[in-house]
Amino acid sequence: MGIRRTMISIALALASASLAGMSARAEDVKLVLWSLDRDIQPAPNLIKEFNAQKNGIQIEYRQLQFDDVVSEAMRAFSTGKAPDIITIDNPNHAMFASRKAFLDLTDMIRQSKVIKPENYFPGPLKSVTWDEKYYGVPKATNTIALYYNKDLFKAAGLDPEKPPQTWTELVATAKKLTNPSKNIYGITFSAKANEEGTFQFLPWAQMGGATYKTINSEGAVKALSVWKQMLDEKLASPDTLTRSQWDSTATFNAGNAAMAISGPWEIDRMLKDAKFQWGTALLPVPSEGAQRSSAMGDFNWAIFSSTKHPKEAFKALEFFASKDVTMYKDFGQLPARSDLPVPPTGNPLKDSALATFVEQLKYAQPRGPSPEWPKISKAIQDAIQSSLTGQMEPKAALDQADAKIKSIGG
Amino acid sequence: MKRVFSSITDGRGFDLVLVGVPFTFLLALSGLPLLYNILMSFQEVDMFSLGSVIRPFVGFKNYVDLFTEPETISILRNTIVFVVGSITGQFLVGFALALFFWINFPGASWLRGLFLVSWVMPGLVVGAIWNWILSGDFGVLNFFLQQTGLMSGNIFWRSDPNFSLWAVILANIWLGTSFNMILLATGLAAIPADLYEAAEMDGANAWQRFWTITLPMMRSTIGAIIALGLIFTLQQFDLFAAITDGGPNNSSNVAQYWAWDLSFRQYDFGKGATISVIMTVFVMFAATVYVRSTRHEVRG
Repeated sequence: MGIRRTMISIALALASASLAGMSARAEDVKLVLWSLDRDIQPAPNLIKEFNAQKNGIQIEYRQLQFDDVVSEAMRAFSTGKAPDIITIDNPNHAMFASRKAFLDLTDMIRQSKVIKPENYFPGPLKSVTWDEKYYGVPKATNTIALYYNKDLFKAAGLDPEKPPQTWTELVATAKKLTNPSKNIYGITFSAKANEEGTFQFLPWAQMGGATYKTINSEGAVKALSVWKQMLDEKLASPDTLTRSQWDSTATFNAGNAAMAISGPWEIDRMLKDAKFQWGTALLPVPSEGAQRSSAMGDFNWAIFSSTKHPKEAFKALEFFASKDVTMYKDFGQLPARSDLPVPPTGNPLKDSALATFVEQLKYAQPRGPSPEWPKISKAIQDAIQSSLTGQMEPKAALDQADAKIKSIGG
Repeated sequence: MKRVFSSITDGRGFDLVLVGVPFTFLLALSGLPLLYNILMSFQEVDMFSLGSVIRPFVGFKNYVDLFTEPETISILRNTIVFVVGSITGQFLVGFALALFFWINFPGASWLRGLFLVSWVMPGLVVGAIWNWILSGDFGVLNFFLQQTGLMSGNIFWRSDPNFSLWAVILANIWLGTSFNMILLATGLAAIPADLYEAAEMDGANAWQRFWTITLPMMRSTIGAIIALGLIFTLQQFDLFAAITDGGPNNSSNVAQYWAWDLSFRQYDFGKGATISVIMTVFVMFAATVYVRSTRHEVRG
C-alpha cells in the first residue's frame, strides 16, 4: 500500500507537472468535475456547453462508475486529491456534508440570481441540507408511483379509470387481478436486499406516519404487514425479494403483473414494450385522506470544501442550474424544480405519466439525511427481508431494525 | 567494487537477486496489503480516515462486534456449505468428465477444449444467465423440472431461503467444473500406460484399476485441485452479486460478499477488514494443503 501510494503520487506529480506546463499559456481557471453521467446524460454535455463559452473557466470531466462514486470521492478527499465539483447520490450527501467535506453554499446561494431554494421541490432540497445550511444543489430527481395495466383491469371487471387509492383497495385490487393459471400476479415491486428495497419501502412507512428514526411505529409495522400479506398470498412473485425494480417492472411490461411500483425511468421502455393500455396513479395511502409520501432518487451537485476556486465552481453550478429548463427535453431526466413545468412531449400517454410523477414529487422525501445512511438502510433492508421470508414477524423485525438504528446513532 | 559486480553476475549475489526480485514483488503486492488489512481490523476505520495509516486503535472491538451480530454465525455456516458444496460438485463432475474424455473417442480433445468456454466466461455474465435459468416464475430450470414431471409447483430458487444458497452453488459448480476437468485430465494423461497394461495382465478389473492405480497416482493433482478450488470458491463474488445479492435475509450471504458489503456499501472498513482476516486464516490452511500436495509432485 505504502509503495503503491508513493508510486501513484509520483505519477500524479508528473501528470500535474505536464498539465501545468500545457495550461501555462492560457490563464484559465481549471476545474475538475466527477460524475457518473454517460455521454448522453447531462454532466458531460453541460460541461461542453460551459467550456464553449470561453469565460476563463475550463472544466475537465471524469466519469465514475455507480459503485465507485462514494469510495473514490472519500479516498480522493482524504488524500487531498478531491475534484472541485462532484455529483453525489442524495442519501450519501449528508455523510460528506456532516464532515464538512462539501462546501457550505448557503451564502453564495443567498446572493445568487439563478439558484433560489424556493424553486426546488422540498424533498431534494432537504437532501442537500445539513444543520440548516445548504451543502449542494439538487441536480435531478425522481420518485416512484403506481403503474397499472388497464386491459387487465377491464378483464377483471374493474374500472380502468379508478386505480386503487388506499392500501386496502390496493390489496383487494391485486387479489382480483391475480390469476395464477395465466401467470399473472396482481402487483410487482422490489424488496431486494440493497438500497432499492429501502427506496421502495420507506415511502410506505412514511405514509404510515413513521420516519427512519421511528421505524418500529405502528404505521410502519402496518406497511410491512401489507407487503407481507401481498407476498404470503402470492399477489406478488416471491422473486420480489431478489429482483431489482427494473427487472420487476419488466414482468409488468410483459403482462405478467397487473400493477407495478416504480419510477419515471420506466416510461420509455414501457412505451416500447408494453402491448396494452396502461396508466399511472399516485402511491396508495394507508387510509383515505392520510398524508402522502414517496421516495426520492437521483443525484445532487456539490463542491468539495478543498477546492481552490469556490467562486468559479459555484458559477459552474449556476450555469448547470440555468439549463434545468431543457433537462427533460434533452436528457429525459426530471429537474428537481417546482417552478419549471415539464414541457409536453407530444405523446399524451407519456405526458400524463409525467404529470403523475411531478405531482408525486411534491410528497417525495429524501432518505435521511443522515451521515450514517448506508448502515440505517441496511437495518431496514434486513427487517424487510426477515419478515417477508417469514423468519420474523413484522413488528419484531422492525423492533430489531429500530434498536440497530438507535445504536448507530441515526 | 569489482567483486560485488562479479558476485552479482555470477555467484551468491546472483542468487540473492533472483530470490530478491520475486520476494520484493510479493512483499509489495501481497505482504504489505495483508499486514495493512490486519492493522485495519484493529482500528476504527472511517471513510475519511481511509487515507491515513494512524487511526484510533480499538483492539478486538471489531471482532467482538462481528461475533455478537445475529447474522454472523449463519453467514459463516453458509460460507462452509458454499465451499464444501461447490468443491465437491466441481470435483465430482469434473472428474467424471475427465474420465469420460480419457476414453479418447473421436473428437474427445475438441469437446474437452470446448468445455473451457464456461471457465472463460466472466462471472457476471454467468451470473446473469443463471439468474434467468433460476428465476421462479419463468425460469428454464423450473420449466424443465415440471415438463419432466419431477415436480409440480414452482421453486423460487433465488428467493426461497431454503434454496438460495444452493442456487448459487449450482451456478458455481457449472462455472468451476471445466477447470477441474482440465487439471484432472492432465493428471490422468501423466499416468504411465504400462501400469495399466501390467494390472490388466494380472487380471485387475476396471474398478480395481481405478482404485489402485488411478486414484493413488492422482493424489497430488487432487490435493492441488481441492486447494485451488477452496481459493477459487472463497474468491467467488460475481455470482452472489448477480444472482441473489446475498439475500433473502442473508440466507445466501457468505463471508467474502459480506466483507464487500460492509466495506463498500456500509463504509465500515474496519469490520470488512476483520472478515478478510478471518478468511485469510482459512486460505492459509488451503495454501498449506496445496504446498504439501505439490511437494509430493517433485518426488514423482
